Amino acid sequence: MSEASKGSQETVTFTLNDREITVPKGTTVMAAARQQDVYIPHFCWHPGLKIAGVCRFCLVKVDNRPKLEIACNLTATPGMKVSSVLPEVKEAHKWALEFHLVNHPLDCPICDQAGECKLQDYYMEVGKYKSEMDRPKVLKPKALEIGSELVLDTERCILCDRCVRFEEEVTKTGALGIFNRGDRAVIGTYPDKKIEHNYQDNLVDICPVGAFTSRDFRFKQRVWFLKEKPAVCPGCSTGCHVDVHAKPQVRTYFRLKPRESEVNGFWMCDKGRKTYKHMNQEQRLRFPLLTEASGVRRRSTVDEALAALAATMLKADKSEVALLVSAAYTCEEYAAFFEFFVRSLGVTNVYQWREPTEDREAFDGLLYRGDHNPNTRGLSEALKAVGLPGEVKDGFEALLRQAPKLVIALGPELAFQFPSLPAQLSRLEQLPFVSLWTIDGAAVSHVGLKHLLPMKGYAEKRGRFLNFAGKVGELADPFPAGSEDARDVVEVVAALSEILAHSL
Amino acid sequence: MAQDKPRIILRTAGLANPRALKTYIEHAEGYTAIKKVLGGAMTREQLIEEVKASGLRGRGGAGFPTGLKWTFVPQSDTGPKYLICNNDESEPGTFKDREICTVNPHQVIEGMVLAAFAIRASKGYIYTRWEFQAEIGYLVEAIKEAYAAGFLGKNILGSGFDFDLDHYTGAGAYICGEETGLISSLEGKKGQPKVKPPFPAVSGYLGRPTIVNNTETLANVPWIVNHGAKEFRQYGTEKSPGSKLFSISGALVRPGVYEVPLGYPFERLIQEECGGYLPGRSLQALIPGGASAPLLTPEEVQGLTLDYEAMAARNTMLGSGAIMIIDDRQVLAELLKVTIEFFAHESCGQCTPCREGTGWLNNIMDGVLDGTAKPGNVELMRTVAKHMGGKTICALSDACAMPVTSYVQKFSGSLQAYLAQATAAGGHVK
Repeated sequence: MSEASKGSQETVTFTLNDREITVPKGTTVMAAARQQDVYIPHFCWHPGLKIAGVCRFCLVKVDNRPKLEIACNLTATPGMKVSSVLPEVKEAHKWALEFHLVNHPLDCPICDQAGECKLQDYYMEVGKYKSEMDRPKVLKPKALEIGSELVLDTERCILCDRCVRFEEEVTKTGALGIFNRGDRAVIGTYPDKKIEHNYQDNLVDICPVGAFTSRDFRFKQRVWFLKEKPAVCPGCSTGCHVDVHAKPQVRTYFRLKPRESEVNGFWMCDKGRKTYKHMNQEQRLRFPLLTEASGVRRRSTVDEALAALAATMLKADKSEVALLVSAAYTCEEYAAFFEFFVRSLGVTNVYQWREPTEDREAFDGLLYRGDHNPNTRGLSEALKAVGLPGEVKDGFEALLRQAPKLVIALGPELAFQFPSLPAQLSRLEQLPFVSLWTIDGAAVSHVGLKHLLPMKGYAEKRGRFLNFAGKVGELADPFPAGSEDARDVVEVVAALSEILAHSL
Repeated sequence: MAQDKPRIILRTAGLANPRALKTYIEHAEGYTAIKKVLGGAMTREQLIEEVKASGLRGRGGAGFPTGLKWTFVPQSDTGPKYLICNNDESEPGTFKDREICTVNPHQVIEGMVLAAFAIRASKGYIYTRWEFQAEIGYLVEAIKEAYAAGFLGKNILGSGFDFDLDHYTGAGAYICGEETGLISSLEGKKGQPKVKPPFPAVSGYLGRPTIVNNTETLANVPWIVNHGAKEFRQYGTEKSPGSKLFSISGALVRPGVYEVPLGYPFERLIQEECGGYLPGRSLQALIPGGASAPLLTPEEVQGLTLDYEAMAARNTMLGSGAIMIIDDRQVLAELLKVTIEFFAHESCGQCTPCREGTGWLNNIMDGVLDGTAKPGNVELMRTVAKHMGGKTICALSDACAMPVTSYVQKFSGSLQAYLAQATAAGGHVK
């Protein structure tokens, strides 16, 4: 056993607010408190970043030590007695807050952070007093377009330094610095530089106040109207754990936030943040479309659409049927799909639908992978389970060469991750009958597609993704579907099999 | 009893060409201490013990025991270690290190070789503020001379001990006088103090063990080696041994830098060294240890001696030995304003209580001067200052809070009167 691993097993027992806590040796009081759900107020400390010790908010009292100390940089030692609730500590917290508010503009009514602002939270917790500051405040630059995804208000900034550390430690881009000194200090980029990486919105997340706001989310919604549910980002094969924020009563999704997990730590990428838009009304396929024998294409009910598909299936020989499957669906959906089409109906022409320009091995070193599908691994396993090769290979061209009479296609969920999709859909239009199951509203413009079924988005169904490493990502708590006609694959297959059972 | 006024530091003062290597060698036992130590007369441990026994305390302001500080360097660590001479002399009112550079720079270099030997450092820097352009020249010249004479560099005096010394010029920030701020600056970063622990002795410059000592502190070491801790202790008091340089400014006949033993009577310094007050002037208040030291009233100055204990007994501090005479013609409100403005300007801005507190106090003082402050604001300054104290990474916040507290506590009437007058006049009192 190495020295390091031996060290990590050694533990320390100390007392926090009269409660005995045992933690691995070397743990700080702040980290220990977090593990125990004891909340010590703080701005600059973040579990995913190095210690800065600058906000001076997390002051605690250690028995037999004269001065209050910051919990974030205080290593727990055996028998140490720490309090975060003594009157003198509370008084220190109150004043720490007061200092933070000295030059903070009171523009909460127009600030996006309102409702999830640490300054507001702490004011309710330790403040609720009339400020003694009656002098003019220091004015600083506002509404700076500091990155493609970001707007910075340096007046709201409390200089906690989290964003600077994120840039240094996480993205290693070092784009941000604190310029000037004293109460003139401002966060900014170096001259002529902007923040350009794919992780900008994390700065919005870690900013405890409204200094960094998201260009995408800015002024769209007051956060207290949002409902959040856990999900897994479908943007790439990393499968970051996320919370989807939506307003279900108006069937609108607003944003994604990373949820702490061992897959993604505390972060997610900006590409992934955009994986809510396709579930909103204006972008999604909201109802089935079918093309009648006369060539007229019309909106139909789900029942009609399924009956029409079943009828077409009954007329086709299984050798004339092909399945075109993208890697955006859950393991449960694949299992049901292949069980039905391959095992029960004996279809053997199965093709994978992949973006031909993808570089599946690409990886940015942090989270974002070149495989822009959430469940490539799950698809492989599902194929193997029904005795088909699980090898990941784009089968689109092969499908076209076979030119089957009936194609059942599970379309990609994220059109923006599939640049070749419009061209591919145009080519599918040439085939006699394609039933495209998709959430992508753009499919409507491809009038040659005979049969379109609206699908649920990932935030609207239950199921599992297997990420690039085979780790399970659970979709366990779905929102109601953004359109009443939307179904998941399991539901469609169940309905189809029922219709066919009656027909046979 | 040894002589009344020792020359431990400014030994070449008054001589022709005082800072030349030749002068130092001929008149001030120059480089005999390193010959003694590197020649094998003292081990590292004995050297540290001797400095500990001398009771030498850091002369930069905090007064921390020097020998003890040296022992904090982990001896088991075999990697590179650094010694830094803090010559950033930035406390307002202080100009004694500047005098050392002007008069006797070689003694600092010799002290550094000794300190480096004690802590096993093979690389050192002298960090000087930008404003000391002439003194930087003197230091660079002295380093060159010392290299040429074999007192610096590889295998010094054939002892096998290597010590390289460079000079580094800061940009003139107050905060770079704080040792971790200095280290940040030396590393090429923005001069901001670092959160402690780890302390520099364990993880300092470039993350390596580093000792930062003040110029005057280091200049004491050769003398201690040559004459011994016992003789050093004949000067000064039990808890403040040795001599100290005082930078004295104000309405005096001969303001300047004087080397006197610690514990020297304040009144005697004023009368004998400084020739008394300028005609017609009298003491309104005393700043005994730089702008960050709490003010003393004339009553509190009665019987004052210049040592760490006497200052502590009056709730103020000896600091860097910067004595500022505030005579009866000074306007305390304006003095407080420039004091606070200095700290607000120099706060690095990373710790919230300091960044916002110094700014807030400065803001209030603007209001006192232009008459827009409310009468309650004067007392509010004391409350703000109270909550700025002891809460931050470094002591700059305290350095601003302490004088503010003492002004408001001792001279509240004067501040209130000024404010009332300014309010009535609708602007600055002229």
